[in-house]
Amino acid sequence: MITSPPKHIVASILGIVALCIGAALVASALGSASERILTVFFISLIAVVGMGVYSGNSGILSFGHLSFMGIGAYASALLTLPVQMKVATLPKLPEWLAGTETGLLTAITVAILFTSIVAFIIGLALNRLEGSAATIATLGLLIIVHGITIGWRDVTRGSQSFFGVPRDTTLWSAAIFCILALIVARLYRDSVSGLRLRAGRENAIAASAVGVHIRRERLIAWVLSAAIMALSGALMAHFLGAFSPKKFYFTDTFLLLAMLIVGGMTTVTGAITGALTITIVTEVLRRFEGGFSVAGMEVPAVFGTTQIGIGLIILFAMFRKPEGLAGLKELEERFLTGHSVKPKSKDTHVTVASADPTPLTGDNLTMRFGGLVAVNGVSIEVKPSEIVGLIGPNGSGKTTLLNMLSGVLTPTEGSVQRGDMVLTNAAPHDVANHGIARTFQNIRLFNELTVYQNVLTAALSTLDGKRAIERCEAAIVAMGVAQFAENDANTLSYGDQRRVEIARALACEPSLVFLDEPAAGMNREETDELMKTLQTLTSELGLGVLIVDHDLKLINQLCDRIIVLNEGMLIAQGTPAEIRKNPAVIEAYLGHS
Amino acid sequence: MKRFLTLTAIGALLAAPVMADTLRVGLATAQTGGLATYDSPVIDGVHIAVNEINAAGGIGGTTMIELIEKDVRSDAAQTSIAAQELVDAGVSVLVLPCDADPSLAAIGIVSSAQIPAISTCASSPTLPMIGGDYMFANFPGDNVQATVSAAWAREQGHDSTYIIYSPDSQYTTMPLYFAEVFEKSGGTVLGQDTHSIGQQDFSAIATRIASLEDQPDVIMTSAYEPDFPSMLKALRAAGVTSQIIGSDGIDSPTTFSLGDAGEGVVFTTAGHALDGNPLADFNTKFEAATGNKSETVFNAVGYDLIKVVEAAVLVTEGSTDPQKIRDAIANLEGIQGATSTITYKGTNGMPVRQVALIQVKGGEREYLGSPSPDAAMIPAPRMQ
Repeated sequence: MITSPPKHIVASILGIVALCIGAALVASALGSASERILTVFFISLIAVVGMGVYSGNSGILSFGHLSFMGIGAYASALLTLPVQMKVATLPKLPEWLAGTETGLLTAITVAILFTSIVAFIIGLALNRLEGSAATIATLGLLIIVHGITIGWRDVTRGSQSFFGVPRDTTLWSAAIFCILALIVARLYRDSVSGLRLRAGRENAIAASAVGVHIRRERLIAWVLSAAIMALSGALMAHFLGAFSPKKFYFTDTFLLLAMLIVGGMTTVTGAITGALTITIVTEVLRRFEGGFSVAGMEVPAVFGTTQIGIGLIILFAMFRKPEGLAGLKELEERFLTGHSVKPKSKDTHVTVASADPTPLTGDNLTMRFGGLVAVNGVSIEVKPSEIVGLIGPNGSGKTTLLNMLSGVLTPTEGSVQRGDMVLTNAAPHDVANHGIARTFQNIRLFNELTVYQNVLTAALSTLDGKRAIERCEAAIVAMGVAQFAENDANTLSYGDQRRVEIARALACEPSLVFLDEPAAGMNREETDELMKTLQTLTSELGLGVLIVDHDLKLINQLCDRIIVLNEGMLIAQGTPAEIRKNPAVIEAYLGHS
Repeated sequence: MKRFLTLTAIGALLAAPVMADTLRVGLATAQTGGLATYDSPVIDGVHIAVNEINAAGGIGGTTMIELIEKDVRSDAAQTSIAAQELVDAGVSVLVLPCDADPSLAAIGIVSSAQIPAISTCASSPTLPMIGGDYMFANFPGDNVQATVSAAWAREQGHDSTYIIYSPDSQYTTMPLYFAEVFEKSGGTVLGQDTHSIGQQDFSAIATRIASLEDQPDVIMTSAYEPDFPSMLKALRAAGVTSQIIGSDGIDSPTTFSLGDAGEGVVFTTAGHALDGNPLADFNTKFEAATGNKSETVFNAVGYDLIKVVEAAVLVTEGSTDPQKIRDAIANLEGIQGATSTITYKGTNGMPVRQVALIQVKGGEREYLGSPSPDAAMIPAPRMQ
């Protein structure tokens, strides 16, 4: 399923096809040198967009993708190498491979499949790492694969030239494969998996809390991007006819990454822009560095101008456009309207995973961070159709308790259960699928995604994505943010961002929702409005709410029951009236009298 | 505008006969990147030769040489693009990088355009074999170097050898050629060891050789920096006193600064400057033209390359037809270059050149001679 409006996809595909075919027609009119330049451009662009599928959508920069290009190149080359050539140059090749000689298409297909399998296995291990640790691991991958390619002499000829590969890559085959790769990358970006992965890139904790299994989405992107890299590698092998492991090592890694980063990692438009910019600048400068004459003046050859030029573009881009020349949006997203939601057009209701009256119980929960006991032996129960307030002075362990109940933290001691279902060690995305959604003390929206996409991600990632659009739109309408549906989340005011966060939680159709300081930064009217909404949801739909806030007026008016924490311990619970009179609470807030 | 076009057309027509007397040589070589270390000094030598020839009125006093230079940035894909552009620009001879990858990536274009291509300094005898009729090399082949050093070793009365090679590259397998020639001329190969390029630690190999019952008279390797110095030191430290024979890869200042460990090492290289010999003449010209001393024999190798082209054009009597030039190059015999005399006749494109033998003596370069290899002894190129 594609999550963006169909007109975006249609515009994008038309643009890609027109661009590639147009360029190919121009180049073939200009002659064979231009054809070669464009063929190399297409092959590079496939690689750049392949890197973008993983790095752009996941936010993890990879230095290791050239290894997949290498695997693809060697696999495809080995399959197409004429049998006599194999006998002469690779006498120790396994027999089944020595006798195999396939055509180009078969070889490319097999190379892509083989690379995908390798990438899947590597991805299982690499996926356990986050952020810069993952980036460094990809660097390790590049070095290891390079080492294996050099060491596996019987199959790869070591660091010597692997030659005799049929030169079958033509301008038009490169163009067609490039169109395919760009379309696949574009579709993936707005597929369910791509949207979830981008949400995870924007905010991993929040994405998990709305049911996104980030590692799974990352693995999908990793394998898909490796497949695209393999395609690029195979085409390169059949373009050059001779290559060695150094073709798929640091030099080309940095050239292709420069294209991706200059253009903008997160979009297909960015990949195209970056590859185009660097290729055009290179081609222009290259013509001058061999020496030329202007008005009778002879300018001598200065080799290296090209590299300096590329270096300057990277510097310029990083200073002026740190997110890349194309920015964070696809071209068509800038010109065409996105998803809109009409405020009250439909009979919209936020529904609740109906009649799951099972309460959530936290039993004897303790959380230690080193020597600090943040929460100490707290037992808590939250039921649907009830609004529970959780209060306490700063540092009393409220957020830590919420984090344990929602799976963000695993308690040091104690258990979390919903009925018979033990959720103590459940991952946040599993907790979300048991009807529990939450918001965060520091707003955690998917900043670069639209409001609609923020909420849609949650709807798609819970309840197996059933009725996702319906749930998404209902939640947006219910929280009164329909007019912002097309806007990026980070352009909204603070109060509206809070509302979007709640809408995103509601789109999961939870039976329990945890709100961590939802009224912070809202004015009185906004707070009253929020209270009304929450009361309606509880009374009409049977939603259970656990709310943390410092606004005691809000808590008193809203809550059926209040729980008070101090220094990690539960010191009181009861109705608002009882709590107001409780001496322990008064002492915790005001100190000894 | 119309008038301008007419004038241009007339100009072009007038220029046409002049064009026939200009030989276009396309340089698709690495001026930047990892290969520039090899290509760049060769191209410096090419310039010296071209300027000298043009100053004298061109080849045979008629054919001027025009260089069209492209930097391929040490990349195979760029080499194929540059080669195509140069072919489109109408070059008669193409110069390709020192390394096999980029040369082979361009060879398809060269062959279909039927233009001769010369690699700046590739020494693998398989390159012209794979490259086909239009691919020529411009350096003593690995197999030729090995033949010269093996013949020298046998003349010195060395009967046994041990070889250390790396299968990582064509070049570092030169000891296999050495062993072949050594055995063919009646010597015994006691054993062999392999290493990887950049291995650094050679103590295991050194210990193995030191513990041999019969110590080899010579040990041959074509390892180069940084492997060669560590290998040599490990061997000497283990008590191995055999004569060490290396190849042109160690023709660098490091080899002469190794002190006692380096003493007596013999290696082959492309040439040696003696008072009044062509290489010394070239070095004088180089210094006059650039203001710097020539620090590597690759400068002279570049000069040789143009001397080969010059000789071929003299044979074609000034014709710049690429096919004629190719045929002429393939039949050249005994052309005097800066480093050596050069013969292509009877080869597959790997020239027969003299190889200079150098010995390290007291940290200085001692010239042992430039014996011409016995053609019958030169081993056939190995494809693997």
